[in-house]
Amino acid sequence: MTVASQVKQCVASLKNVEATLNSLAIRSENEQAEEAFRDACQTTRRVLADIEKRVGELEFEEPQYKGF
Amino acid sequence: MPGWFEVVIRSAVALVILLLLSKGIIRKPLAQMTYFEFVSAIVLAAILAIGSINLQVPIAYPIMGIIIWGAVPYLMEWLSMKSLRFRNFLHGRGIPVIKDGKILEDNLKKQRLSSDELLKSLRSKNVFQVADVEFAVLETSGDISVLPKKDYQPLTPKDLNLKVAPIKEPETVIMDGKVLDEPLSTIGYNRQWLEVELEKIGVAIENVYLGQVDSYGQLTVDLFDDKLKVPSPQEKPLLLSTIKKCQADLEAFALATDNQEAKQMYAKNAKEMDRVLKKISPYLQ
Repeated sequence: MTVASQVKQCVASLKNVEATLNSLAIRSENEQAEEAFRDACQTTRRVLADIEKRVGELEFEEPQYKGF
Repeated sequence: MPGWFEVVIRSAVALVILLLLSKGIIRKPLAQMTYFEFVSAIVLAAILAIGSINLQVPIAYPIMGIIIWGAVPYLMEWLSMKSLRFRNFLHGRGIPVIKDGKILEDNLKKQRLSSDELLKSLRSKNVFQVADVEFAVLETSGDISVLPKKDYQPLTPKDLNLKVAPIKEPETVIMDGKVLDEPLSTIGYNRQWLEVELEKIGVAIENVYLGQVDSYGQLTVDLFDDKLKVPSPQEKPLLLSTIKKCQADLEAFALATDNQEAKQMYAKNAKEMDRVLKKISPYLQ
């Protein structure tokens, strides 16, 4: 497995985490829990943006692995 | 009027009075009644019994008796609610029998409580060694309430400085295979949501004996068919492990790359994910 595909897999997992956290934040009745989930969701989104940028750089360096 | 008919009428009236009296009694377990209340209840019962079958007693006598024996204890209860002094007189107060780990022999003697009985009561509270007790009170009901020393008390999350997720009471949404709409809407869900959740775990609603939703929107069910296995909720453990995996991946990337800029970016984000993990793991247990 190339580095690019490993990083892409990580991006997919992060997206999953972000979506699950978001859904938990919406479903939580407790304010404290909702706050924690929402905060975690935002942090994950920031991390995700960073990693996606890196995926772009990798694709630029190794264009033969572009796409999925 | 034949005698048997009078017995029927008297008994019926006595039953009605008994029903009214028991309605008036406040919810209190029998074991917590004071001696005074207990005896007045017995006397009332005796008056009702004699009044309903002893035809030689004129009907006015038992009725007078019931009024006095019913009203006076009621009045005394009411007075004891109003006045602390009267309450102490009527119900008495708890008497300390162990203080700072030492048995107070004088108080034991006053209450005619032998050391054997004290040990027996302590054992029933799961205390087998007197030295483990910080404080114990002999309650008016004859029970002993025990405060163990701090290091013999059960461990709580607070002792461990552990953060735990707050919980609220779960709501029962399915009973005997039928959806209860009111509790479902109280927690902000509807039938469609419930159908989707049931579909997820792959059971038909007719097969569900009891279904409950916790405060995080997680549905747990008990089925009529006990041979069927219900998958335990997977969402939270799965999320936790995915976050852990992402965090480990990012650390691995940081180690693997030669690009300094990328290295720093990966390391920073690995730290961020670690923070996320620490923050939400109490809510995912």
